[in-house]
Amino acid sequence: MTIEAEYAIEVEKLTKRYGDLLAVNDISFNVRKGEVFALLGPNGAGKTTTVEIIDTIRTPTSGKVRLLGMDVTKKKHDIVPRIGVLPQGFSSFDRITVRSTMQYYSRLFCCIDPDIDGLIELVNLKDKAEVQYKNLSGGLRQRLGIAIALVNDPEVVFLDEPTTGLDPRARREVWEVLLGLKKKGKTVFLTTHYMEEAELLADTVAIVSKGKIIATGSPVELIESNSNYLIVTLQSVDEKTLAVVRKMGFEPVSDPHENIRVRVEGTDDVRKILNGVEDAGASFLSLDVRKPNLEEVFLKLTGEALHEGPTGGMGAK
Amino acid sequence: MNLRVIGANLVVSIKSFYREKTAMFFTFAFPIILILVFGTIFKDQENISFNLYVQDLDHTETSAEIAKTLGSTGKFKITQVNPAVDATQYARNHRLNLVLIIPQGYERSYIQNLQYDDPNAFVTITYIYDPSSASVNTKMEILNAVFAKLNQGLTGKPPFIRTAVTSILTRKYRFIEFFIPGIIAMAVMTASLAGTVNVNTELRQKGIIRKLSTTPITRTDWILSNIVYQFILAVISTAAMLLVSYAVFKVNLEINAWLPLFILLDVFAFVGIGMILTRFVQEAQSAAAAANAIMFPMMFLSGSFFPIEMMPSFLQTFARVLPLYYVNEGLRASMVSADNLAALEYSGVIGAFATVVFILGIMATKWEED
Repeated sequence: MTIEAEYAIEVEKLTKRYGDLLAVNDISFNVRKGEVFALLGPNGAGKTTTVEIIDTIRTPTSGKVRLLGMDVTKKKHDIVPRIGVLPQGFSSFDRITVRSTMQYYSRLFCCIDPDIDGLIELVNLKDKAEVQYKNLSGGLRQRLGIAIALVNDPEVVFLDEPTTGLDPRARREVWEVLLGLKKKGKTVFLTTHYMEEAELLADTVAIVSKGKIIATGSPVELIESNSNYLIVTLQSVDEKTLAVVRKMGFEPVSDPHENIRVRVEGTDDVRKILNGVEDAGASFLSLDVRKPNLEEVFLKLTGEALHEGPTGGMGAK
Repeated sequence: MNLRVIGANLVVSIKSFYREKTAMFFTFAFPIILILVFGTIFKDQENISFNLYVQDLDHTETSAEIAKTLGSTGKFKITQVNPAVDATQYARNHRLNLVLIIPQGYERSYIQNLQYDDPNAFVTITYIYDPSSASVNTKMEILNAVFAKLNQGLTGKPPFIRTAVTSILTRKYRFIEFFIPGIIAMAVMTASLAGTVNVNTELRQKGIIRKLSTTPITRTDWILSNIVYQFILAVISTAAMLLVSYAVFKVNLEINAWLPLFILLDVFAFVGIGMILTRFVQEAQSAAAAANAIMFPMMFLSGSFFPIEMMPSFLQTFARVLPLYYVNEGLRASMVSADNLAALEYSGVIGAFATVVFILGIMATKWEED
């Protein structure tokens, strides 16, 4: 198998500079055909700049990007009929219905006969087909955007933050659509700052921070290769526990719900903590020991939270 | 040029426009309102009549005759002022800009002059007037002309210098017929320029242009779509303006192939300018301001509303570099004076301009981002 046949996207030493700002800093990676590839990182990490260079919206400062074997800076004309793009902050014509919007985008492509009703059904918009864009909710708009990205039956689909700004339910509905895409065997390039999204959908995750890719692999690989530690959570602790654990040389982090989390090297440390707490006469209600998830891997690698909010990790130190 | 793509854009543009009732109203109604307002103001300009207040102190048959003569010119509606009142005070109290006083002894002097050929027999007719009034000078000029004619009649000699007028137009035209081609040119310009700038900055701000850049649509097809769409609106709008003009003012204009040609060139030129503006002005609000900055001088200085001969000579020179001037004059040449040669000349100038602007518009349109 040749490299062209194996990879849908090949990125080599890609750099993008805006004046003094280095948005993308010399990154290289490949995306295999048929896989779902997620670029995971916080806002401002350079995800959108990277995806927009690959899907021909922007031009790189330096480096090489090949999409379906073609140079994106020279073969835009040949590339665009073969890709589908949901740009960040997707929007459409306010007063045009879902079906008419689909028909509009399908007419922009030559020689295709899309199954518009099938696509509308795929994204669960059948009962909204005659509703104007301005009257759709955020989640429905994103689903329309995904359907539009599929109108030319593309070989590679780019989805730039498809669920940002959606409520949890709308987000799950979009995920269902994306899982459907995955089943169809499409190559999907996804950017997100939601760890669950990457973990659920992606075959390969590349973690980006400050314009650099700092780790690449499947979600399991990333966790395995970075999980030379365990996370111990003691729930409903009393006042003494925190002090006891700290005294033993660990670095516990407490939260407002009287829980403390401790990063330890192995099960010996867990036993040590339990014994220490018992000896000091301190107490806790329950104990949880687990390997870190992607979010914590990300934290460990970058020292920054993926996004603000209650799931923002165990507090970046 | 891809007709399928242009067709798809047209469908979306026309549906959006049709569903946006306010935009539709202003695009079509505004020029019609202008025509109705100005058409009514200048309707039958030749037959305009002023109010004239006359105080006849002589109160004789001969003095009554002069008031009658003034009334019979059709220029004045005569109102008699009571001889007992003070005319100056009366004019002030009633805010009149002109009161004409026929002095006592008018009839006596008239007879003296006519029968005895007495050169010392004359009368002084007094104008009590408000110099701050705009129309008073016109009134006084008309009165002076009437009195000059009366004086000349008294001498019994036929006038030595006479005047003759020959219109360079084959028919007699009214102001409204000069006005309508200017309004058509202006309405097509504003709709094309403002429409293009508004729609394109909005689509760019909403990210729709970015999405379109990942489809096979080309810049040329996009601009041509804008032009065809604006041309369709312009044709509908022009037809509506002409229908109203024919129905209300019974205008008499030449409608021939020049009309759609000039509308098309008008659209080409100003959609092109709109595309160039869209490239350089980022925000929708500043884009609207930039469009206004181009449209307003063009509207007032290129002779859409009034002939440029009324302006100082340096402004006339300036008017001749404005593209709208050539649309105004070209439409007038074809619709009013039926002068094909002049229309050809004007269409050549605006056609060359439109071609250059169209090419610059394609070059300025940018799909990819930095």
